[in-house]
Amino acid sequence: MDYKYIEQLLERYWEGETTLQEEHILRTFFSQPEIPEEFQKFQALFICQQEKEEVLGDDFDARILEMTGETEPKKAKIVVLASRLKPLFKAAAIVAIILTLGNAAQAPWNYGWDNPQDEYAKFHQQKEDSVNMLSPIQAENVTDSLLAPNSDDPKYYE
Amino acid sequence: MKKIKFRADILPLKNELYRLALRITLNPAEAEDVVQETMIKVWNRRDKWDEIESIDAFCLTICRNIALDKMRKMENQNTSLEDGHDAPDSSYASNPEEQAMQQDRIQLVRRLINNLPEKQRSVMQLRDFEGKSYKEIAQIMAISEEQVKINIFRARQTIRQKFEQTENYGL
Repeated sequence: MDYKYIEQLLERYWEGETTLQEEHILRTFFSQPEIPEEFQKFQALFICQQEKEEVLGDDFDARILEMTGETEPKKAKIVVLASRLKPLFKAAAIVAIILTLGNAAQAPWNYGWDNPQDEYAKFHQQKEDSVNMLSPIQAENVTDSLLAPNSDDPKYYE
Repeated sequence: MKKIKFRADILPLKNELYRLALRITLNPAEAEDVVQETMIKVWNRRDKWDEIESIDAFCLTICRNIALDKMRKMENQNTSLEDGHDAPDSSYASNPEEQAMQQDRIQLVRRLINNLPEKQRSVMQLRDFEGKSYKEIAQIMAISEEQVKINIFRARQTIRQKFEQTENYGL
């Protein structure tokens, strides 16, 4: 490989005539792992130039910002009405759930878990009451219609 | 022109400023102080940010001036600048590892650069390490572009000579 170009660049580098771009080419060339022996002695210089120490970290930032009184950036927060009312909605939802469950639980409490026999009796009592509550005319009709076929049946008298 | 924001535009320059300050003061603690002072100073002039052509150059200029001030004070206190220097390392000859040798060479380069006069050191830092144009460097250091070129030339020549010398004495 021909290193004339690099040689020329290097010569111009020493003279201070290289452009930034050419200096970049030199640095790239010297950062290769394998370079010809005649250039090796200068390798350290160009490698050294690429080493950029990043010493100051976030704690430095924090200190400076504290001194300048610039606290954390106040990011403009977009507040949507829905998101603002979210806690309210949550509370409302919880109340709704409690009410629904409460109502659902109300039913068994009303009817209770009394003695089944009493309940059965009570139920029949209620049925009788409901029959009694029918109008007397209707009741008569019912008895008539029940009795009629029997009385008219000729076999009955035989 | 876009609005300059301290957090987004100036604070990220801290490491670049630090490297320049370190190159001038040759003392990490001092360099950090310099950057801190620079930041405060730049912050205090925030009403003028919009009139500044290049905030990078502005910060670097302030940084360099503060660093130079510190140097002067340090000299007044009779603290030798040599304190921060490593003693010449002679161990490389006994180290056969190529990689370790490379590290030694890099150390040597650092020492060579740090032994240059301040102006050449700063110019070299800005040009070869930070990749600034001659125009920017001239602006930062408040000297003419010609002066920048001369300083670069001298710095590189010295480095080259030192390289050749160490080469001849067998590195």
